[in-house]
Amino acid sequence: MKTIVSAAALVAASLFAIPASAANLVLYTSQPNEDAQATVDGFMAANPDVKVDWVRDGTPKIMAKLQAEIQAGNPVADLLLIADVVTLERLKKEGKLLAYKSPEAAQYDATLYDADGYYYSTKLITTGIMYNTSAAMKPASWKDLIKPEAKGLVTMPSPLASGAALIHAQTLAAVPGLGWDFYKSLAENGAIAAGGNGAVLKSVASGEKAYGMVVDYLPIREKAKGAPVEFVFPSEGVSAVTEPVGILASTRNADAAKKFVDYVLSEKGQEGFLKLGYIPARNGMKLPKGFPARDTIKVLPIKAADALENADQDLKTFSAIYGSN
Amino acid sequence: MHGYVRPGNSQPTWLFPFVVIVVLILSVLPLARLAMVGITAFANGGVIDVLAESSLWSATYYTFVTAILGTIISLVIGCLFAFLLTLTDISDKGLLSFFFVLPMMIPPQVTALAWVQMSGPSSPLLKALSLAPPLGSPQPLYSVGGIALLYGVQHAPLVYLALRAGLMTLPRDGVEAARLSGASSLQVFRDIILPLSLPGIIAGAAISFVSCTGNFGIPAILGIPASIFTLPTLIFTKFSAFTSRTFGDVAVLSAIIAMISVAGLMVQDRALRGRDYRVIGLSGASAAFELGAWRFAFTPLLWAILFFMLAAPFFALVVGALVPAYGVPLTFKTMSLHAFEEILFRQAVTRTAFINSLSLAGATALGLLVVTVLAAYTLTGRKDAASRIVSSLIEIPYSLPGIVMAVAFILVFAAPIPFLHVSLYGTIWIILIAYFSSFFAVSLKPAVSAFHQLDPALEEAARLSGAGFFRRLFDIIVPLIAPAAGASVILVFLIACNELTISALLWSAGTQTLGVAIYNLDDSGSSDLASALSVLVVLMVVVMMLLLELMAKRLPKGAVPWRS
Repeated sequence: MKTIVSAAALVAASLFAIPASAANLVLYTSQPNEDAQATVDGFMAANPDVKVDWVRDGTPKIMAKLQAEIQAGNPVADLLLIADVVTLERLKKEGKLLAYKSPEAAQYDATLYDADGYYYSTKLITTGIMYNTSAAMKPASWKDLIKPEAKGLVTMPSPLASGAALIHAQTLAAVPGLGWDFYKSLAENGAIAAGGNGAVLKSVASGEKAYGMVVDYLPIREKAKGAPVEFVFPSEGVSAVTEPVGILASTRNADAAKKFVDYVLSEKGQEGFLKLGYIPARNGMKLPKGFPARDTIKVLPIKAADALENADQDLKTFSAIYGSN
Repeated sequence: MHGYVRPGNSQPTWLFPFVVIVVLILSVLPLARLAMVGITAFANGGVIDVLAESSLWSATYYTFVTAILGTIISLVIGCLFAFLLTLTDISDKGLLSFFFVLPMMIPPQVTALAWVQMSGPSSPLLKALSLAPPLGSPQPLYSVGGIALLYGVQHAPLVYLALRAGLMTLPRDGVEAARLSGASSLQVFRDIILPLSLPGIIAGAAISFVSCTGNFGIPAILGIPASIFTLPTLIFTKFSAFTSRTFGDVAVLSAIIAMISVAGLMVQDRALRGRDYRVIGLSGASAAFELGAWRFAFTPLLWAILFFMLAAPFFALVVGALVPAYGVPLTFKTMSLHAFEEILFRQAVTRTAFINSLSLAGATALGLLVVTVLAAYTLTGRKDAASRIVSSLIEIPYSLPGIVMAVAFILVFAAPIPFLHVSLYGTIWIILIAYFSSFFAVSLKPAVSAFHQLDPALEEAARLSGAGFFRRLFDIIVPLIAPAAGASVILVFLIACNELTISALLWSAGTQTLGVAIYNLDDSGSSDLASALSVLVVLMVVVMMLLLELMAKRLPKGAVPWRS
């Protein structure tokens, strides 16, 4: 009988060895793994009593996971730190977010956060063109990508996998002279759209493709590490997302979640983003290494309300051009 | 009480019902739920929408084409190794066999990642050797051919094992009789060995085909960038774009893969039924052919294949983990251990993934062992229809693609459990239950073969001396089948550790497995980190296989898959 008891104890022990999620906060984010880890590490260093677990995926996939969990009656996330305000605006309208007026908001442009306190922009992420340094042409305009020299050599993130890519497509589609026709010409020129920004970086840096539409910090950071890539801000301007943070209404630990929001908006949190190579959203911060002066970067306008309303239709239009699922 | 157990059978009455209940929970409940959602979707006309989508048909087409091509490749490689290693006097058989089975134990997404690192313009290995193709060259593996090739590599060991099992029992006297009558080696092979090994080849082909249709890691890494979707990756992407229709849609898609798998298995079943040639004569056709001068052709060939299947991709992975950034060639100057540092010491997700995978694998292996010993005992003791039905019910979840079981368990546990009001979806427990269901058959097999080799007289003697069931269990049965139990624990542990398909749908915050962590790292563009983690996982697999190899002498025949 002794054996059966010890065997049962062994099984029981191995079952209890499985860690039930013991975190005080769960963050769903679209930042790359290393950045997500650095952000969470920075917060936990400032708030040693809070433990944060994080999940990283592209914004659409993170939202899908959240939707599935909400439908199953068990939303896991407390906080979102994802690509764009449009997605958070939608959650706000659905009543899924918690309003919190952070004292740090005073240091931000009023356009960068929700007046009711449902979400706050944390940084400025622009989408421009990256190219492999061994490519023949040095692109300077979006339209360079539809030139014959770029035939079959262009890649871009899919709006189905990346929140920034959706905003980017919606922004360019609204620019006179570009529009959806530009995307059609790109597709006719053999451009492909698959995966997220990480896939574009990999593809261009490794030489599978020569040119890519991509978020600024990835190629600028990789170039610093020695990768054979360059990033340009095209003459027409760049699109931008602001990676907002928001608290879910279903959070189990609102106090800790509010501390997290305060932290990412604080000077310290913003310096963390700066070190990682992002343009901080807070007033009076420096720019990361490798960026041109802020006033030389021309950001193309986008109307959040229109973007939200047209998102589904724009996704369909894009999918129809690029034949992706 | 006594009417239920047949005379001469000394099993306690609760035992069989206990096994039946376990099987009901692990097999019948999820599959019934899946069927129900599928039928409901059908009744609501949802099926029409799914069936009308062109993505479904192209995914079905790609699933078939890649699986058929992959099966052909795995047949060619698998048969070559099986014939040469079983029937000829080629040297270093044990070593060749060990290395050849290794790809089967390596997670498919690691195989895919390694091959991507090995070829195309992105290859750090080719760059280091200055052999990389020019800018703009497509990665040749992001194609139907690439997916099929890696299916072939991944599943060739399955063909090898299925064929080898048949070849080991070939009648030697038939071969000798033919030889004495003056038949040449080629004639003996063509007229005697080939016809007799055909069932084994068919069985191997069927297993390989079914595994190809259910594979997720390879088409996920090679297919998605080229917009080539197979049914498992289509289910995954549908889940990644969750809408209110998703549950119904994926249930229908799962049912389609399940049907393809079942069709493949029925072929296998038919092939196996006509396979019992053992009675004809002395078995053990070891070294029926002497290679002679051919040795110098075949030995290098086999090692060359192994080099391309194992060594080259592994070096590519290591190189991919050592380069500091994309597109930088590896030299002693640029080499950096940053990726390993980041993976081992910075990323919380690695630690979480290791802890999750190891504890999930440990809990699955040990938990299943308890059920397995009892189930194997009662199922080998009974010879009735009920026990045959239970045996095949245990087999079903293992033979269905992991993604189908994952969807089935999501459907069962998405809503909070009635009365308890506990939600398993999004927790680690749903992964654990799905693992129990999927790997039950793996755990059962070594135990069943041990029971078949067990002399019932020992237990009967103990029973006649008045020993109760638990007394007999712990004093006689457990010690005698302990080696097989050990093998079953390590096998399940190994497979569960490397699992991706099930956890890819079931993971959540804090419950990432190693498979998911590698896939997500690569997906987010951090392929150096993904490579570093993959290198660690491959090393772990090799260590565990060596452990099994060391135990092999004390195990029953057939418990360690790659040993004779």
